[in-house]
Parts: sequence; C-alpha cells; structure tokens
Amino acid sequence: MKRENPPSILCFRVVVAILAVAFAFPAAAAAPRAPRAGAIRGRVELRKLPAPAERRMAVADLGVPIAAPVADLASRARSVVYLESAPRGAFEQSEPARVVMDQRNETFVPHVLAITTGTTVDFPNSDRIYHNVFSLSKIARFDLGRYAAGRSRPWRFDRPGIVRVFCEIHSHMNAFILVFGHPFFALTDLDGRYRIDNVPPGTYSVVAWNEGVAGDPRPVTVPDGGVAELDFTLR
Amino acid sequence: MHRPARPVWLSPLAPGVLALALLGAPRSACAQGFLSGPIVFADGHVTLGGNISATIGSDDPGFFNYTDYEHSALRMLRIDLSGAARLAGDHLALVGELRTENFHDLQPYALYVRVRPWSARAFDVGIGRIPPTFGAFARRLYPSDNPLIGYPLAYQYLTSLRPDAVPATADELLRRRGLGWLTRYSIGNAAADHGVPLVSAFRWDTGVQVHAATASGVWSGTASLTRGTVANPVFHDDNSGPQIAGRLQVNPTAGLVVGASAARGPFVTSTAARGAVGDGRDREFTQTAYGADVEYSRGYYLVRGETIVSEWRLPLVRQPWLTLPLRAVAVAVEGRYKILPGLYAAARVDHLGFSRIAGSATTASWDAPVWRSEIGVGYSIMRNLIVKASFQHNVRDGGPLKRHENQTAAQVVFWF
Repeated sequence: MKRENPPSILCFRVVVAILAVAFAFPAAAAAPRAPRAGAIRGRVELRKLPAPAERRMAVADLGVPIAAPVADLASRARSVVYLESAPRGAFEQSEPARVVMDQRNETFVPHVLAITTGTTVDFPNSDRIYHNVFSLSKIARFDLGRYAAGRSRPWRFDRPGIVRVFCEIHSHMNAFILVFGHPFFALTDLDGRYRIDNVPPGTYSVVAWNEGVAGDPRPVTVPDGGVAELDFTLR
Repeated sequence: MHRPARPVWLSPLAPGVLALALLGAPRSACAQGFLSGPIVFADGHVTLGGNISATIGSDDPGFFNYTDYEHSALRMLRIDLSGAARLAGDHLALVGELRTENFHDLQPYALYVRVRPWSARAFDVGIGRIPPTFGAFARRLYPSDNPLIGYPLAYQYLTSLRPDAVPATADELLRRRGLGWLTRYSIGNAAADHGVPLVSAFRWDTGVQVHAATASGVWSGTASLTRGTVANPVFHDDNSGPQIAGRLQVNPTAGLVVGASAARGPFVTSTAARGAVGDGRDREFTQTAYGADVEYSRGYYLVRGETIVSEWRLPLVRQPWLTLPLRAVAVAVEGRYKILPGLYAAARVDHLGFSRIAGSATTASWDAPVWRSEIGVGYSIMRNLIVKASFQHNVRDGGPLKRHENQTAAQVVFWF
C-alpha cells in the first residue's frame, strides 16, 4: 500500500524546490516583473453649464408646469472621460452588471450613466404618474411602454455607443447612457474631477464628453504603476 | 359652388420637398441635437417652440374634412410658433402662439397672460385668448398629439348652423342638410359661408379662465368666462352675453383620466337675432354643450373615448317652426398601439348625429348624420419627427354632396 506524505512535509518540499530553482537559475529570478496598472486623473472644466431640457411648448396646457429639480441642473455638470482606444485584453467578457436609472420628479436619475456592454439598466418609476421610457438611438432602439409607480422595466445594452433616453409622456425628461466595450471610463463628480483606475501603462487617446459634446482626443502616457494627469475644457 | 383655390404649396412636389427638408436637416445634425427641444434665451425667461406639419391627402369632394378656416384638414401645411415669456418667475407669464395654415394668413391662435398668485398652489388665472376649457381633444392641439391625421367629427365637421345667419323655417334648415361647408340663410348675413363644428379645434375663445388642482393632482377643475361659444370662439364679442364653461377632471389612478365638461353661452349674433325677432333677445339663442371623456393607457396601448352633446336654440321666425333645441350628439372612440419602438397603429370610429325636425313635407334630422372611421400608422424617425399615413372612410346620410368617400393621407410632423 502506498503511504501518503503528511501536508507539512509536502509544503517543506515545495519551498525547498523553489529555493533550489532560485539559487540555481539567478537569471530567472531577475526576470522583468509584470507591469503594474496605473491611473489617469484630472478635471473636466465646463465653460458653460448645459441648460436643462425645457418641456415642449404647449400653450394649451393648463396650469404652470413644474420646474426642473435643482439636482437635475447640477447633474448636467457631470461628464464622462474615456479611453478612445483601449489596451489589449480590455474587451474580455466581464460579469454582466445591473444598474438603475430612476424616474423621479419627472427626471431621470442619474442624468448620465456610463456602463459596459452587457449591462442591464433597470428603469423604475418612482413617480405617482405614468412614465414611458424609450430610445430611438441606433445602438439601442427600445420602448418600455407606460408603467405606473413602483414598477420597473429593464433593458440590456449590448452594443457600444451613446444612447439618448426619453419619456414619451414628458418631453423634458431625457438622459444619456454611454455604453463602452471596455472598462476604462469614469464619470466625473459635480466638480468635474475624474479618475480612471487599472489602466495598463502605455500611451492612449482620452476623450471627455458632456451632454452630447465630445472634445478632441488628447494623448496621455500612463507610467508603470503611476498616475497620469490630464485636464479638459469643454464647451 | 364656391371652393377655395388650391394653395400654391399643394403642388404635387411641394410636400415631398418639405418632407425631405425636414428629414434631412435634423439627421445631418447629430442625432437629436438639432432643434430637438424648445429654444430658450434671455436667461431662461423666454421659451420658443414650434410645430410644423405637412399633410397631403386625396381629393375631398364631399367636404368631410374641411375646417372652419376653410381648409381641408387633409391638405394642409400648418406652422405653429409658440412662445412664453416669464415675467415674474412662475407668477406671471405671457403665452402666445402664431399659426398659419397654407400660408394664407397668420392667426394669433393663443395670446394670454397667465397669473399664478401662489407658487406652492396649483391655482392659475389666464386672461386673453385662452386655452379651451371644454372637452379633451381641444387641448391636444398639435398634430403630434393626434395619433391619426383626421380630427374627431365633433371638433372639425362643419354643421349647417351659422352664428351670423339663421333659417327662417324648418324647411330652410332642412334644405341645407350636409352643406355645412358652405351655406346661407335668409336672415342675418346673406353671404354664403361655412357652418360651425360642435366644438372648434381651430380657434380659441377670448376671456378669463381659472384653473385649480388638488395638491395630489388627482382632481382638477377649470372654469372660464368667454366672449364666444365652443362652436364659435371669437375675439370680438358679437352678441350681448358671455359663455360660461367648466371642466372637472379626475385621475383616480395612473393612466386613467376621466373628464366632464359643460358650456353655455349666446350663439347667435346680435345682428342675426335682431333680423329674426327684433332687438334685445340675442341672449336667448344659445349653444349649450355637455361633454364626457375618458382616457386609459397602459403598456403599449392607449384608448380614448369622448362624447359631446350640443344643443342650439335659434330664433323661431316662421312656420314650420324649428323643433328646439337643435341637438347634435358626437361619439368618438380611438385607440393606439405601439407595435415596435417608434412604430404604432391607430384607429378611430366616430359618429355625429342630429335631432329630427318637422318640415312642411318631411321630418328628418336637421343635418345629415355622419360616420367616420380612420385607421393609420405612425413612425418616429426621430423623437420629434414623425411620419403618418391614414385611410379614412366617411359616410353621410343625406345632402346633395357625395355621401361616401374614402380618403388616404400622409403627414410629416416636426416639432421643437
């Protein structure tokens, strides 16, 4: 009958073997280590804040329409910064994600979403009234129909590109969904600051986008394990 | 019989050129970026919007689709330019709209001051040429709000009644059955002119309107005092009494809207009333209208129904007397279903009936009853660019004009 070695003896033998290889082949131990991912960070400055979408003029509407929520105005200051050309391996399949774009106070919240392909976006209705989410964008043409408060309907975005989302009932409701085939993008905060992490070292073209306006691609070199700074000015 | 000259734009090529211009311009300008919404300037105090629709349809020898602006609703280039100037935040605004149909003339369709005394309360007062209080369809005034191309009969079909000319006898009225497009009577204005629909969708009345809603928005009510009537909205008063109109609307649950309306006011002009029965009685000759409407939508479908009853009291001049009130009842049901994103199908069934009066030789409805059914499709090329096509079947039970008519129409609608 074959006698099995206890685990402690096995571990000892493995360590000895590794040390032996290391001493016997010093060149191998000095081989170049894998490049460390870096990051790109900076700020997107908007010369002019984009105006919120006005509701369609309808002189027959009775009463005064509600004004756009203040949060909606501020959310338009958020931009998206992304790599125009992604590094090799960036397009590998990732876990399908699920995010939410709410409909609240006749506003899509958030106003801008940046997602990867394969992501499903849920569109809950948090208002008392009906909403009807739809898009006629080339990469995602869909209509979720009218549904009431408390209900939600999903849509999966499988193609990269920019999707404009509207409500069929409320003309002033609109939002952007930017769908990327890679994960190298970031949404700025309300001050315009962004950071794209886990970028392999190399030189890339980076684009800043805000409310349908994309700046010219800007080159940036990400150092090994370092952080590259890149600011943009739009509008 | 007089018929308006065909406008220049109705040449066979014109609608196509316009459609191409509309299709081409926005597309070349970055998806939804070109005039995809109202134009706002003066720090957000002024908002401008526009609606353009070009409709081309087959010939209408039965005059089923003529409007009170003497244009066929199926052959029309309509341009609306609307604007609102906020003068004191949400408290005071000037709202107006200019409209031209077939470039014939420019009409101030709407022009009113809107006052909201309390920001936190849904209570508004409109003064001027104000939105309609009565009915549901009248506030869906843009072609993009209408799933089809034709209008409901109650809001468009011209009956044989006129406010400025009245028949002396029941026989005279019966002779004008089915001739609402162009009619004349022996009392009042002797010139031939068109009659009125039950409720005009093409003109607004002038006066004061009060609108209020509960905080939840479930209930809302509107009342107005205007110079004309629902059938004959006017800018300058043409008789001695105002119209009172009211509407109550409830939204008990999301997607369901139920409304009831009523209106009453002097219909016959002072001149015509004087010619019929002498001075001082024009307040007696009224139009009274009642309406009920319901709308339900869910998922991909939307259903609407509306009924309107209108009663007119005209002067009794000679025998055989008119049997008063002269009543008209309209019922319309329409539905829309979205087949694909941007593509929908729609249908409407419509009937307009009239009460019977006794002439010296016959008893008949005072105007010829009309049935209309219309089916159509609409496709959104962009959110604010829609193309529609429809087929309409009209039947009129009486009158000297063509009684059965099939019509096809196509429409391009662009709004910003």
